Amino acid sequence: MHIYVFGSLCRGEISDGSDVDILAVVADYDPRLNPEEFSIYSYARLSELWREGNPFAWHLHLEARLIYASDSVDFLRSLGPPAGYSSCLRDCEKFLGVFTDARDAIAAGTKSVTFELSTIFLAIRNIATCFSLGVTAMPVFARHAAQRLGANSLDIPPGRYAILERARILSTRGKGETISVDEVALVLDSLDTIMEWMNRLVQQARHYERIQKSNGCAASDS
Amino acid sequence: MSEFKNRMAAQRAILSVVNSRPRREELFGLSNKAIARWATSNGVSQDSRLHQLIESASSTLFFLANKSQEQISEDYRLASNEIASLAEEIDREID
Repeated sequence: MHIYVFGSLCRGEISDGSDVDILAVVADYDPRLNPEEFSIYSYARLSELWREGNPFAWHLHLEARLIYASDSVDFLRSLGPPAGYSSCLRDCEKFLGVFTDARDAIAAGTKSVTFELSTIFLAIRNIATCFSLGVTAMPVFARHAAQRLGANSLDIPPGRYAILERARILSTRGKGETISVDEVALVLDSLDTIMEWMNRLVQQARHYERIQKSNGCAASDS
Repeated sequence: MSEFKNRMAAQRAILSVVNSRPRREELFGLSNKAIARWATSNGVSQDSRLHQLIESASSTLFFLANKSQEQISEDYRLASNEIASLAEEIDREID
C-alpha cells in the first residue's frame, strides 16, 4: 500500500473549510479504508489514468506527497509524468453538460436544490481545472480554480460563489448552514453569466485543439 | 453519456425520490456524512429500512467511482438496475 497527501494542504491553502485529501493506492479491496476518508485507487487503475493523461493523474503528479509506502518505492514517482492531456475539449464540454443538467433540474422545480447548486460548483471547478491544464501553461487544481484563470476567470460576485461552495460542502461533508430561498435566488441570477463563461472556455478549448491538430498535421507532413 | 454524468444522473434520481416528500431538511447528497445529517435533522433512525436503502444507493455509486474502463460498462448496467430498483423501494418505503 502507498498513501499520499494531495490537495489544498500540499498547496498551503489552509482554511476553516479545507479538509485533508488522502490517496490510498492498494492492490486489492481493503476493508480498513473508508472511501469517504480516502480516495482509494488500485495500482492498475492509477496506471490507466496515467496512460490516459487524465487530469487527476496530472493533479497527483504535480502535487501528491508520499507519506507511507509498504515498500521503498514512491509508486507515483515511478510512473513518471502522465501522458499529455489531450481530452481538454471533451472534458470542458462534459462539465458544461453537467452544469446545464443541474440548471435544467432547478428550472424544472427540483426539490434537491442544494444538490444541484453543489453540482454547479463542481462543474465550475472542474471545467476551470481542465481548461487550465489543457489550454494554459499554468494548471490550477485549487477549489477556487475558476477565479484563478487571469483574464478567463469567472466574474460573479464572491458572495454568490461562496453560496455555491457552501452547497458543495453540505452535499459532500454534510456540514454548514443550509441555503436560504433568497440565497438560491441570488445564485440563479448568475446562471446566465456562468453559462456564458463556460461557453467561452469551451470555444477557446476548441480553438486550441484545432491549432494543436493542425500543428500535429504540419509536423507529420514535414 | 459519460460514466461521470451517469453517476450524477443516478444520484439525482435517488435524491429526487427522497426529497419528493417534504421534511425539515432535504437530503443534500449521497455521501455518508450528508446522509447522517439528513437522518439526524429529520429524526430518521439509522436502523430504519429507509436509511439502509439510501446507504445502499450511496455504496453502489461509490463502488462505480473506482472502476476501470474495461469493467465499467457491464458494472454500470448492473448498478443502474440496482439503483433503479433501490429508487422504487425508497419510494415505497418513504410514505
